[in-house]
Amino acid sequence: MILLLVILLLIWRGANRHLIIALWFVGLVAVVGLFRFHVTSALDLSF
Amino acid sequence: MAEVVTQQAQTDTQSRFWGFAGFWGLHAWIFAYSFVMLSAFYIQFVEGEFPCPLCMLQRYGMILSTAGALLIVMQARRGTLTTAKYSQGLGMGLLGALIGGAEVSVRQILLHIKPGDPGYGAPVLGIHLYTWALITFIIVIAYCGVQLVLAPRGIPQAPPEGSPLRTLSTVIIWIFIGVVAANVVAIIFLEGFAWVLPDDPTGYNLIDQFRGK
Repeated sequence: MILLLVILLLIWRGANRHLIIALWFVGLVAVVGLFRFHVTSALDLSF
Repeated sequence: MAEVVTQQAQTDTQSRFWGFAGFWGLHAWIFAYSFVMLSAFYIQFVEGEFPCPLCMLQRYGMILSTAGALLIVMQARRGTLTTAKYSQGLGMGLLGALIGGAEVSVRQILLHIKPGDPGYGAPVLGIHLYTWALITFIIVIAYCGVQLVLAPRGIPQAPPEGSPLRTLSTVIIWIFIGVVAANVVAIIFLEGFAWVLPDDPTGYNLIDQFRGK
């Protein structure tokens, strides 16, 4: 979450676009990683 | 000659309209997600429902996708926006909504899809928050798609500096950044001295840890 706030502040301040996009990708990968961490059970969809 | 001038004026008016619509469409996106996250705060602090890890991940998805909108808006305000940068911003919005958000919402919906399952948390207007979140992600994905199809029409044109609309734009941006900053504080209190949220949070870990519980 702190990384996301930093990205927004960098966008506001007009930092280098490549730095912003690189950090944004790190954030996206981190969210996917957190999702993988929290999703530990298989979905039971047998009705 | 007069016909050419009239055509040029029509083209300018159309261009201004699309630029205006593009600029404020992105602000509607930014403001809508600020409103959604403020509503989540209401449910958290007033109704006492703590967000689960999947709920927080959906907030991350909202922030990731809105970062794309914010990037475009800030470039437009500085007068440095090009078609390439515009596409990059919309691409960030698309990926953030799809991978960061919709994927998590779908997982949470499927967790509670079986008949008889009451779902997680209280529904709002008959729909659970994670389903609302998926609806917003679908709207964002559709918005980005439409804007990309329409491009270069809809490339935002910012109002001149010092105008009331410019101030409104600044206010909307800072409301969003403020809401994200509040989320940072909230998650520090929820997690305490841990890297991740507990699966089913029932309080603020940081306060409990300071009290030695």
